[in-house]
Amino acid sequence: MLTFIIKLLMKLTVKKLTTYSWITLLILVAGSIYFVREMKNNAYMETDLDEYMPAQHPAFVFSEQAEEWFSIKDGILIAIENKSGVFNPETLEKIKDISSKLQEMSQFEENDIMSLYTADNILGTEDGMDVQPFYEEVPVQPGELDSLRRSVESNDMVHGRLVSEDGTVALIAASMKDDVFDEAFHAEILKFAKSYNGDGDQVYVAGRPIVEGTMGMLGPEDMKRMVPLVVLVITLVLFILLRSFRATLFTLLSVVVSTIWAFGLMAATGVPIYSVATMMPVMLIAIGVAYGIYFYNHLNQYRLSRPQATDSEAVVHAVKLLWKPLSMAAFTTIIGFISLVTSQVYPIKYFGLFTAFGILVAWMLALVFLPSSILIFGSRKRKIRVHDDKPTYTLLNKITDKLLITKKISFTVLVVVIALSLWGLQKVWINSSFLDKFEPDSEIVKTDQFVNSKFGGTSTLNVIIESDEADAFKQPENLRLVDEMQEATEELAKVGNSFSLTDYIKRMNKVMNSDEEAFYTIPESSDMVAQYLLLYEMSGDPENLVKVVNYDYNKLNITFQLKGDDSKTINEAIAVIESYTDRFNELGLTMKYAGSGYKSLVFSDLILEGQLWSIALSLGMVFLLLALMFKSLKAGIIGSIPIVITALISFGVMGLADIALSTTTALLTSIAIGIGVDYAIHFLQTYQVYFKKTNSRHEAIHATMHHTGTAILSNAVVVIAGFLVMLFSVFPPNRMLGLLVSMNMFTSLVGTLSIMMILVYVSQLFKNKKSNNNSISTNNENN
Amino acid sequence: MKTIKFLGLTVLLSMMSTGVILAQKTGLQVMQTVYNLPSGEDTQAELSMVLTNKQGEKRVRQLKQYISETGGVEKKIMYFVSPADVKGTSFMNWSYSTGKEDDQWIYLPALKRTKRISSGSKGDYFMGSDFTYDDLGDRHPDQDTHKLVREETVAGKACYVVESKPKTSGHMYSKTITWVMKDNFIGLKREFYDPNGKLLKTLLVKNYQKISGIWVILETEMKNVQKNHSTTITLRNVKVNQGVPASKFTERSMTMGS
Repeated sequence: MLTFIIKLLMKLTVKKLTTYSWITLLILVAGSIYFVREMKNNAYMETDLDEYMPAQHPAFVFSEQAEEWFSIKDGILIAIENKSGVFNPETLEKIKDISSKLQEMSQFEENDIMSLYTADNILGTEDGMDVQPFYEEVPVQPGELDSLRRSVESNDMVHGRLVSEDGTVALIAASMKDDVFDEAFHAEILKFAKSYNGDGDQVYVAGRPIVEGTMGMLGPEDMKRMVPLVVLVITLVLFILLRSFRATLFTLLSVVVSTIWAFGLMAATGVPIYSVATMMPVMLIAIGVAYGIYFYNHLNQYRLSRPQATDSEAVVHAVKLLWKPLSMAAFTTIIGFISLVTSQVYPIKYFGLFTAFGILVAWMLALVFLPSSILIFGSRKRKIRVHDDKPTYTLLNKITDKLLITKKISFTVLVVVIALSLWGLQKVWINSSFLDKFEPDSEIVKTDQFVNSKFGGTSTLNVIIESDEADAFKQPENLRLVDEMQEATEELAKVGNSFSLTDYIKRMNKVMNSDEEAFYTIPESSDMVAQYLLLYEMSGDPENLVKVVNYDYNKLNITFQLKGDDSKTINEAIAVIESYTDRFNELGLTMKYAGSGYKSLVFSDLILEGQLWSIALSLGMVFLLLALMFKSLKAGIIGSIPIVITALISFGVMGLADIALSTTTALLTSIAIGIGVDYAIHFLQTYQVYFKKTNSRHEAIHATMHHTGTAILSNAVVVIAGFLVMLFSVFPPNRMLGLLVSMNMFTSLVGTLSIMMILVYVSQLFKNKKSNNNSISTNNENN
Repeated sequence: MKTIKFLGLTVLLSMMSTGVILAQKTGLQVMQTVYNLPSGEDTQAELSMVLTNKQGEKRVRQLKQYISETGGVEKKIMYFVSPADVKGTSFMNWSYSTGKEDDQWIYLPALKRTKRISSGSKGDYFMGSDFTYDDLGDRHPDQDTHKLVREETVAGKACYVVESKPKTSGHMYSKTITWVMKDNFIGLKREFYDPNGKLLKTLLVKNYQKISGIWVILETEMKNVQKNHSTTITLRNVKVNQGVPASKFTERSMTMGS
């Protein structure tokens, strides 16, 4: 369609062209106004991590179900630290006050606030059992405080869980209702918690909702910081390359408009802004600017050769020359981003889709808006400068000759680099951690580490065990195996503690046997278990049991508390748990996982899977495109080599430098393939033209290195400069991505100008098979 | 210390009516009439309690219970009949009008021992049901302010509709609305509102009967509309004032089953 329009345009008269230019400008302004309004009305940031996961995936479906069965909810953790111990009237008063105020908040269920104040102290006495709160009125006498401390220390269900083992930190764990956490509540809860600072007490707020909230706060902030910065850097680079204020302005305008349209379409279609999407402006600007540079370069080249040409002549000619290679470059980049659509992970899918749309817009603008702008606003006649690329000419040609002579060295280096990369590749690991997206010394990370150091862990993994038979979890042998599995898993350094029905039963057994430690075990008979459970329901808080076992006693929920939300930690725990699979199966029990920690893990597998698919897809499509474009399989293969090398090195470096694949860095390779292949396209196309013209490999390669070498060098400079701006992001993975994309652009550039150049030369690409004479003559060139 | 009132029977009894018909009453007068209805000196009944959670799973328990009230001491004993694995488990409670803390015992047949339990637990809900101990106990009308909001007919019965709000703060309900039948002063329906003013639970009386000259409610359902959880309590073979011997309420009797 667009091809047709462009062809049609070329036939138009000057007057009509000007009219057409005004129309496009109007459409542009109208479209931009529409999209800005959409953004204002409909754009929102999605920070609920559950919304990042594909809901229909079986693992998520099950997890959602289990979360419903057992009221598994993410909680906010408020830790109150007093270096001289929490057993003083002031701190205890604060624990009571925080607990009761949280219970009153509509975001929490009264029963979901767990603290020393709300917990039951189930005690064994000589002739029976005593269930009491740890305190109702805050104790003030030293004796009372001391006995409170002792009763906490002797209760495993509280000690190390709600009060740290060293007695200096108390925890208030508040499970939130679904979908009630928003920006306003995040601010409110932080303010509320921090108001208890003082008197030697330090209050910390942690937990997944807080991590998500902080991300939601920092994401847009980061975008606000990055956009002006990237605009500034790009302006500078553009001005240096184009040496025209007007051209710089219009190029910038075109990329800003493409960004607005991309976000506007997102808002119009109701797609939220996920954390990865905050990188879109930087990418669209860095990539889109290159198209403007191509346009102005072509325009200026035409002007240089024909100084007398009118604006419209120059524009029409520039567009005529440009539209094919620019379209190729844009479409390969779009393929790179579109390939991300194969991901099951929505943020990545949408990121790919809308960035591709943005690039499409940038491409159209380069072919429509930039020419129109010249027709409407005119362009300043540039003083014709003396060619200052002469030294580049000699340098690039010297390099070309050197490379061709020493090609064995180049291949050796390549083999070594590939070997190193393959070795590094095996060390690549996936990290689904959301905490790792923050600075290691940020408050949120430090708080998390602090709470982890004092308690079981801020992240959770739920194991759901099911049986077809009712009352399965009244059977001692089943419970004993669960208990054994819990203990074995707790051995891991990163597993703080675990909690299930077994803990209640062991506690009841001990309590009913005069609190003797020897009875902290699963009792011998299933009737005994059933009676303990009945007793707990009558004397304790029955709601607690609902969180660990279902009504039919054939679904069990075990909660492991982990000191990290990264895949390594979760996988280690799962490995131990999985080693019990056979023994559970023998008892007719099946095991599944649930909860936010597990969903993150599945999520990270999906990221990897999606990554592999999108690489395969984009490589395949790029190969196909090259082969079709040059009508040669050989060209397809040779043209794909630089990006294959780039992808390999990229993964190799990630492995060797211990950079994990995450939702952010997973985008990398597809982007690199999409942008990097531009270099090969330009190179091959120019080479083909010169080879046809001169019929000499030697001349063609030198001419190509001179012309295209310079062009792709400046393209690389712009893109790298743009992506390096990401080094100023507050999110470490974003910085890493900026660095890696820059590195990839550089490898693509070097790969194209060295290895691919050599291969083009050596393989006698585009050589007509029938013309043997030429083959002899080119062979002779080497001698 | 909360007084444990067993399995809804007390609240049901407290709603029984002598059938006195008064002219236009105030909200307080209606509630006082309900509160002052006489209950039998002793009661025995077979009771079944069905809990239904939001997944539709049911937990069914059959019990036999005895209650007697003499000399300011209310004694209750209950024996679990089913499920089988808790059969023979018994629970006894003595509550004193002097305000003395309740005495409680439990007998677990698997443990073959009777244990004393003392509980200051704030756990509000009784045995995983939707009834709190408060719902099961009789709340004195003086603790609330009452307002007769309207009179209306529910399920063919003319009712007073009384709104009651606690006089002191910190109660788990911000208000309750009770439908009291005009002819017999049995509460037919009650709505419980949470501290944020939202409907939390609905109590429905489904079946009642006059036994030995006293109205007894035989089936009642409490539904927590926020949690989608419900509890149905049904009484069978109710006997009122048939004489339950004092020896029934002993630790020894607990071990012997119903």
